[in-house]
Amino acid sequence: MRKFSLLVVLIILTGTSCERDDICAESTATTPHLIIRFYDINEQDQTKQVRLLTVNGIDDEGNPLGDIVSSISTDSIVLPLRIQGEGIVTTSRFALKKDSDFDTDTNDTTSSNTDVIEVSYTPEFVYVSWACGYKSIFTNTQNTLILDTDNWVFGYEIVNPTIDNENAAHIILYH
Amino acid sequence: MKTQRTSYYIISLCIVMLWTVTSFSQNNAVVNDSVVYKLSYGLRLGGDLGKLVRSFIDNDYKGFEVNGDYRLTKKLFLAGELGTEEKTTSTDYLTTTGKGSYFKAGADYNFYTNWLDMENMIYGGFRAGIGAFSQTVSSFTVYNTDQYWHEQYTSDANREFKGLSAIWAELIVGLKAEVLNHLYVGLNLQIKGMITQDEPGNFANIWVPGFNKIYDSGRFGVGFGYNVSYLIPIYKKNKVVTQPE
Repeated sequence: MRKFSLLVVLIILTGTSCERDDICAESTATTPHLIIRFYDINEQDQTKQVRLLTVNGIDDEGNPLGDIVSSISTDSIVLPLRIQGEGIVTTSRFALKKDSDFDTDTNDTTSSNTDVIEVSYTPEFVYVSWACGYKSIFTNTQNTLILDTDNWVFGYEIVNPTIDNENAAHIILYH
Repeated sequence: MKTQRTSYYIISLCIVMLWTVTSFSQNNAVVNDSVVYKLSYGLRLGGDLGKLVRSFIDNDYKGFEVNGDYRLTKKLFLAGELGTEEKTTSTDYLTTTGKGSYFKAGADYNFYTNWLDMENMIYGGFRAGIGAFSQTVSSFTVYNTDQYWHEQYTSDANREFKGLSAIWAELIVGLKAEVLNHLYVGLNLQIKGMITQDEPGNFANIWVPGFNKIYDSGRFGVGFGYNVSYLIPIYKKNKVVTQPE
């Protein structure tokens, strides 16, 4: 009789035990960001900080969206990319403004300088796990620097045209 | 105190109701030194009632299983199951359906010593399972932790991966009780380990018919069975019980 009730208890316990493998762990690598690093135009193997950089995405109508980076002196930025479908060449536009404080200070002779870059790429969907589902990676990455009368970014280099991790820079900008 | 006694009473009642067949004849001693009983040998055929009931109440599940065993010796049975199942599972980011058929074969060993001519079972056994199935991704949303662009991309295009197969092994424990003459009800628990499976390209098998959910953390699965079966007697054999003085 004791064996019977033990078995019944065992079956009930196993039946109600919880199932917690449907939460995507933060440590899992899912859709990666674009990583851009800034290098010195004069010494091209040296990184160089951009003074008080502000970065905004630009929507299809040309309007700036919220700050991705605001007024931070840094030599690298991490940018989100748009996804509009698998295999569809997509472009994300970013406005990079340096010397952000010059807009608001009292000195009229200085002003900030905004350059615009266009990054185009092809999203490709890759299965990760049951909990995380599919992520997107980006292949065939290209970069365009929009020229204006006073560019502070002088050149660029695609160091990694396939954006499938966040371990190293994908694009280098020289300034 | 009162609730404790009530719950004790309910538990006892459950056990007694489940196992009425074992609850008499303790002192019904036979005077003879030994007694001979007739045991039925034959083919026991049945179906999984649990899968049938679940098909009606769970919109995401359809399943059907027939099972059978054949008695080889007093304690050893050849056993097998044949079934077909379809199950849709989903998270916030993925909806997928596993669909197909399976066949399992193996043996059960009865560990229970029956009173008199009763033929109940508490058994353990093993199965080898083989399944042929498909996996369908009916929708998914690209997992992106950064929603800066407010463009969460969702695909509703069906992606079906056909012609997949899997082989696995199972350990099974369970019980069967004869409730009416030759009619048995039983329940069992199966622990499954995947041996080999076809992986769909750029996806994974989430739910395999006969194996159930494959957990990310390993190659293991669990299953339950609630069976009703009927014994078709083919021949009878003697069981000699020696009575202690």
